[in-house]
Amino acid sequence: MERKTDLTRLLFSISSLADLGQEVSSAKDVEEKMRSALYVVTGMFSVPRAALLAYTPRRRCMEVLAGKGVDAAPDIRLCVDAVHLKSFPMNELVACDDLAGSPLYERNREAFRRLGTKTFVPLFAKNECVGALSLGKRLSRNAYLRSEKDALKAAAHQLAITLQNARLFLKLSEKVAENKRLYENMRQIYLDTIQAFAAAIDFKDDYTKNHSLRVATYAAAVAGDLGWQEKDIEAIYIAGLLHDIGKIVIDSGIINKRDELTTRERDVIRTHPQVSYSILSKIRFPWKNVVQFIRHHHERIDGGGYPDSLSEGELSEGAKILNLADAFDAMVTDRPYRDRLTLEEAFREIRRCRGTQFDGRISDVFCDLLRKEMDGDVMQARILPQLRKIGALQLEPAGTLYEA
Amino acid sequence: MASNFTLSMKAVDDVVVLVPKGYINDLGAVRIEQASEQYFDKGTRKFIINFADMYFINSIGASVITGIVNKNLEREAVLCFTNMKKMHRDVFEMLGITKHVRVFREEGDALIFLHEGE
Ligand SMILES: [Fe+2]
Repeated sequence: MERKTDLTRLLFSISSLADLGQEVSSAKDVEEKMRSALYVVTGMFSVPRAALLAYTPRRRCMEVLAGKGVDAAPDIRLCVDAVHLKSFPMNELVACDDLAGSPLYERNREAFRRLGTKTFVPLFAKNECVGALSLGKRLSRNAYLRSEKDALKAAAHQLAITLQNARLFLKLSEKVAENKRLYENMRQIYLDTIQAFAAAIDFKDDYTKNHSLRVATYAAAVAGDLGWQEKDIEAIYIAGLLHDIGKIVIDSGIINKRDELTTRERDVIRTHPQVSYSILSKIRFPWKNVVQFIRHHHERIDGGGYPDSLSEGELSEGAKILNLADAFDAMVTDRPYRDRLTLEEAFREIRRCRGTQFDGRISDVFCDLLRKEMDGDVMQARILPQLRKIGALQLEPAGTLYEA
Repeated sequence: MASNFTLSMKAVDDVVVLVPKGYINDLGAVRIEQASEQYFDKGTRKFIINFADMYFINSIGASVITGIVNKNLEREAVLCFTNMKKMHRDVFEMLGITKHVRVFREEGDALIFLHEGE
């Protein structure tokens, strides 16, 4: 009879350890894994109440990571000093009687009571304490046999390694999350700084208050409509904010001149995309192509623009978008040398320059988008609020928009 | 591990019969424990677990059964095991579980016992 039970026990232990191996190496998340592992161990020894505790050296405590029959008390924690841990055998069971009287027990008497601990197994991986297993009374009411102690030790070792891996993984995830947070903060600071820069650029020109912000907004709206990725949309938005930064070095007298510019003055003004490029090309932007978009925001697809006289095939989509956004904003705002166009006139102008100054597809997308915004066909209008701010909408009779 | 575990339950008068089927993984384990918990809360004090559709008891399964047996003990409920295969009996005996439950060959035998008393 005894032999038969021994054989059953041996087979059950072997199959349980195999179950444990499978559970801890499964793709489940740490907590689920640990709960499964705890079920395996409690099943092996018919223990109704048990908890798997994880040790956090920084906080010098062990907290319940998985519990069975102690679920109602997830707040249980053991205060543990490193010196407590040294007095325990690694991954071997300590009976409650042996535990009583130890500093660990004295300090955590209430927690042990709530856990219903009858057997305590400190979990060690590579000589480092990673947690503990608390096992309550066994249903069999029997003491652990030698063979059961061996099986428990094997299971404990497995649990310890899993806990250690989980801890490494957790550290790594925390690091990743922290880096992400840092990056987000940095990005926000960056955006704010650029926004402030843009305001400084626009301040120089009496007539173009918030011009950069509007160009950025229009360009990003078009890029979004063209299906650009989030990061690229952000890039063109930044390019919009900074495209005229080169104007900072140009004499305000020329920029705000009411009369027609002389050839020399026009040449000076025309240096600004190149100057913008020179200033910004030293910056390591986290976005691609920002400086190229800026350098080419006054190029035309017929090759008649500046500074590089590039033509359609040589210009990036971003440069073409920025060009249209910039030109459109110039059309609908007052300039020193002329009054603004009405929206209808601006649409007519875009149509007139479609295929010479402006890319045909981008002109159509822009006009369609604005029309949709005016008809209320978009979730969130982006161009319209800007036009409203500069009073460009009051001039428009309804239904006079450009039909592409 | 995909769950291929199902648990059917039926109430026969004041007795609740739990019929687990398949291989208990931890998902199934939680369900079976929750199910019995609900009946406990409703005041049921007579349970039968019919093992006819369970071929194998793994450690997780044993853990669940351990939990249920313990709750029965705490609340002084009566728990009967029926339709056990030899393997079930060997494992439950080895784990010291059978000493806390009443074992019957068939579910019907347990029902008669629970309805009529000894
Ligand atoms: Fe410009």
